[in-house]
Amino acid sequence: MSGSRTGTSGDPTGVPAIRSRLDRVEDPELARSIVELDYVETIDVDGGHVFVRFTLPTAWCSPAFAWMMAVDARDEVERLDWVREAQIELDDHMHDEEITTGVNARDTFGETFPDADGGVSEVRAALADKARVSRQREAVEALLSTGVDPEQVVVLERSDVTVSGETAHVSLDGLSVVVDADPIKDYLRRATNSGHVTEPDDTLFLTPEGRPITADRLDVVQKRSRLASVNMGGQGAVCDALHRARHGPDGPEA
Amino acid sequence: MEEYRHYGADRMAEDLFGNAAADMAIFQPTYLTDFYDEGFNTTEQNAELAEKYPERFVLNGTFDPRDGEEGLRYLEHLKEEYDIPGVKLYTAEWRDDSKGWRLGSDDAFEFLEKCSELGIENINAHKGPTIRPLNRDAFDVKDIDDAASSFPELNFIVNHVGLPRLDDFCWIAAQEPNVYGGIAVASALSTHRDRKFGEIMGELLFWLGEDRVMFGSDYALCNPDWLVDQVMNAELTDEQRDEYGVELDVDTMKKVMGENAAELYDIDIEAKKRQFRDDSVTERFGLADHYGGDAGSAAD
Repeated sequence: MSGSRTGTSGDPTGVPAIRSRLDRVEDPELARSIVELDYVETIDVDGGHVFVRFTLPTAWCSPAFAWMMAVDARDEVERLDWVREAQIELDDHMHDEEITTGVNARDTFGETFPDADGGVSEVRAALADKARVSRQREAVEALLSTGVDPEQVVVLERSDVTVSGETAHVSLDGLSVVVDADPIKDYLRRATNSGHVTEPDDTLFLTPEGRPITADRLDVVQKRSRLASVNMGGQGAVCDALHRARHGPDGPEA
Repeated sequence: MEEYRHYGADRMAEDLFGNAAADMAIFQPTYLTDFYDEGFNTTEQNAELAEKYPERFVLNGTFDPRDGEEGLRYLEHLKEEYDIPGVKLYTAEWRDDSKGWRLGSDDAFEFLEKCSELGIENINAHKGPTIRPLNRDAFDVKDIDDAASSFPELNFIVNHVGLPRLDDFCWIAAQEPNVYGGIAVASALSTHRDRKFGEIMGELLFWLGEDRVMFGSDYALCNPDWLVDQVMNAELTDEQRDEYGVELDVDTMKKVMGENAAELYDIDIEAKKRQFRDDSVTERFGLADHYGGDAGSAAD
């Protein structure tokens, strides 16, 4: 993806290399890169020591999500073989001190927030599943728009799809359809990450509950997938709206 | 900040009715007794204002299944004293070691049973964005499913439409005809994120239909004098109209802004308009002209 290698000698160095590692870290609720979302404020490189400072759109974003992003940023940066230690700082958050201290001390979420119930891993799994559902629609749409029937779409297995470069090849009873690779690749990554599509004979497209789809229900499943994307996108907007309601349109300084 | 922390009864009457943005209000209590010594706004505190303008307010009560037998007695008391038509519930409210409760639990069912028996039909559940220390999973909307299918005679109004679980909420509501969506919080998006607001309204109208979506103001985080206008003027893009096959036209918005709530709370809008021509709120704020003709719609 970013072209940087992990765990081998000769990884790319400097701030751009760090930025491209951070590009793999996502805001779990929006399933978008923290670099793309412009959360990363500062990257400093001093020999094998790297310092990353980031801020979130509002000080009230869930501490669990802020925690995930901080831990992921630390771990991604430290995958570069020349990095000895990554220091992460979260700014302007209701729990910035706890999170900054906890992440750099390598504490767990539970150690940092003893009164929180439920662990981070369940939250991660639930959000990974939502990301899978929300990305399915475009992949299915790409196939339907080339004239593939719903009956054919719902029986596809993982091994029926091959991605090479800009295109994805989908085999249907001996025939092969060529579609744009992007929506397929994006979906496959999410469905693998959520654990739903990992084996060659796994059914490719599923209901939100993770079951095979019947052809006559494909339309409803597509609409549920749309709903999942609206929900994800709506979250960022809600945080922003709450922020404005309290501070006015020009932010806390106004 | 003083203003942010304390909104008094007088200020509230003025904000709600002063420029006729709203005609009536449904008053939801928020006890949060573990966080605030005398409660954030209890039914009793709300009643003081409601009693000043009884024709303008619908007064809801509350229950917490963790109160057991005493809680059931309190619910009976609220019905007797204030004739509450509904309750507002905070399933994520902390209580001693408990970090919340579920509407699908046996204890909660006992209280819903009591509501049904007393004719308290409107069950408002706060299911929306939360921040520490209220843990997020306690706002999960899935328990609405069990409760709604077990108590078809009650109406379940999910405030803040389950955000950030709009997807779960809509899917449940699509299958349970007695589940309604209150758009408080989401409505604030109409201000700066009108595209997002359009999308969310599109989804709600698609899955629930125009009879089960209701306005909510989040007063006093947002103020109805501008929010009502913003929401009323919201429009879908052409693309959104095609996608969802729905419209935010005048008829739909009248339902969302008042008629649907009026239906749930048995409010006769035309009779109310006649009554409001010369009630004490109209006198205090000089609103006689507003209620003179056919103009004006109920909003909560």
